[in-house]
Amino acid sequence: MEGGNPLKLYLNCIRNTLEAAMCLQNFPCQEVERHNKPEVELKTSPELLLNPVLICRNEAEKCLIETSINSLRISLKVKQADELENILAKKFLRFLSMRAEAFQVLRRQPVQGYDISFLITNYHCEDMQKNKLIDFIVQFMEDIDKEISELKLSMSTRGRLVATEFLKQFI
Amino acid sequence: MSMILLSSHSKYLLDILSNRVENAEGVDIERRWTEFSDVCYHIKGSSETPEFLNVSVSFPTPPEETEIEKGLPCGATEAVKVAYGVVVESIVPPDEGFSLTLKLDLSKLPKNKEKRNDMLVKIAAVREVVLGAPLKRILEHLASRTRAPAKDRVITLVHRPKECIFLIPREDKVTVIYPINFEDSIDTVLATSFLQDLAETRRSASLYSAPSCTWSSTPPAELDNATTESLSVNAGFFTFVILPRHVEGKKLDRTVWILSTFHAYVSYHVKVRFLCSYISTYTIMILDFWSSRRINA
Repeated sequence: MEGGNPLKLYLNCIRNTLEAAMCLQNFPCQEVERHNKPEVELKTSPELLLNPVLICRNEAEKCLIETSINSLRISLKVKQADELENILAKKFLRFLSMRAEAFQVLRRQPVQGYDISFLITNYHCEDMQKNKLIDFIVQFMEDIDKEISELKLSMSTRGRLVATEFLKQFI
Repeated sequence: MSMILLSSHSKYLLDILSNRVENAEGVDIERRWTEFSDVCYHIKGSSETPEFLNVSVSFPTPPEETEIEKGLPCGATEAVKVAYGVVVESIVPPDEGFSLTLKLDLSKLPKNKEKRNDMLVKIAAVREVVLGAPLKRILEHLASRTRAPAKDRVITLVHRPKECIFLIPREDKVTVIYPINFEDSIDTVLATSFLQDLAETRRSASLYSAPSCTWSSTPPAELDNATTESLSVNAGFFTFVILPRHVEGKKLDRTVWILSTFHAYVSYHVKVRFLCSYISTYTIMILDFWSSRRINA
């Protein structure tokens, strides 16, 4: 197996899985007349669901991809090295999830056991280009790690500035 | 970005006092408020006696190990007399629910406007005078490099309700140890990170003359004899080593104040700092996302 940047391998694996999974078609609800629901959320008809795929980067980071005939759900668990990153990640991702409409494909609540979730339906695929959608998700994942590290750094910088002012009082 | 350092007098109290002094005909006044969630004030004056004003203060209940005399920290009654002279008379016993009641005679204030203002500011800093009294006494010994009466013993002083700080006075330095506790679990993590940053910052070259600080998650060796209750913390222990140069001349009062309000300061910055960086970064992030990551058809 060729050695590659572990992050790149992880993202490539996710990208490939998404390309295979994102073949969605319209499917009116079998159970309720004239309703059209994302089957991956309902999970009531097993024949409409595909096997979920779990891609783990390591013990702490993983990605769950659940597919159905008309919808796809991607859930991410991001890296949290210490308590501080834990809090930052939680607050940050919750903030993003609350603004789900702006991102359209974001789910308001992450799936149980994960930090953030996407929900993509056949309608999204009709309105947007499939490869652009996949690019977005993969880019998002890359960016999250970066953002949390930056948040942590900015907190530390600010902390030092405040600490300097505090200690100067004694001099 | 304003660095707010807590000032030592209560601005609200000072306003009330200044108003009272400026308006020759007094009005009936009664106010009650809490400062930094641990000190309560109650002020009362009547229109019939405009030159008198009663100020009551309640201080946090000290934990069992601290030394108190008559419900106040050691040396406080003396410190009040020394600071305020004839202007203030301590009423014994204090009003119900309060640790200290002072009767102010505003007619005895210095006539000179500047000196009068200084006295009002000092009265508004009654918290500092009282709570800082034992600390001040120990640091005065350090400044004059004389033997403190309780040398080599670990002294406990009240800092917040049910919490104390530990002082170890020596002839050439005083070690001050704070057990740090926060109620909110998020505050605890942020405070720990801030305190670690603070200790780290002290190591930078330009601050070598500031007191040396260390943070540790376990109690420092000097506290081997303290009770386990006072040693249960969730954000570690923070230690300052105060040297004579930090308490000489005018610096004494300032150092006493800084040490007396250390926890309030940390608490304030934990909340403000997180909020500020959180909000500013998130706003930028969201705008970034919206503008550049839009999924185009």
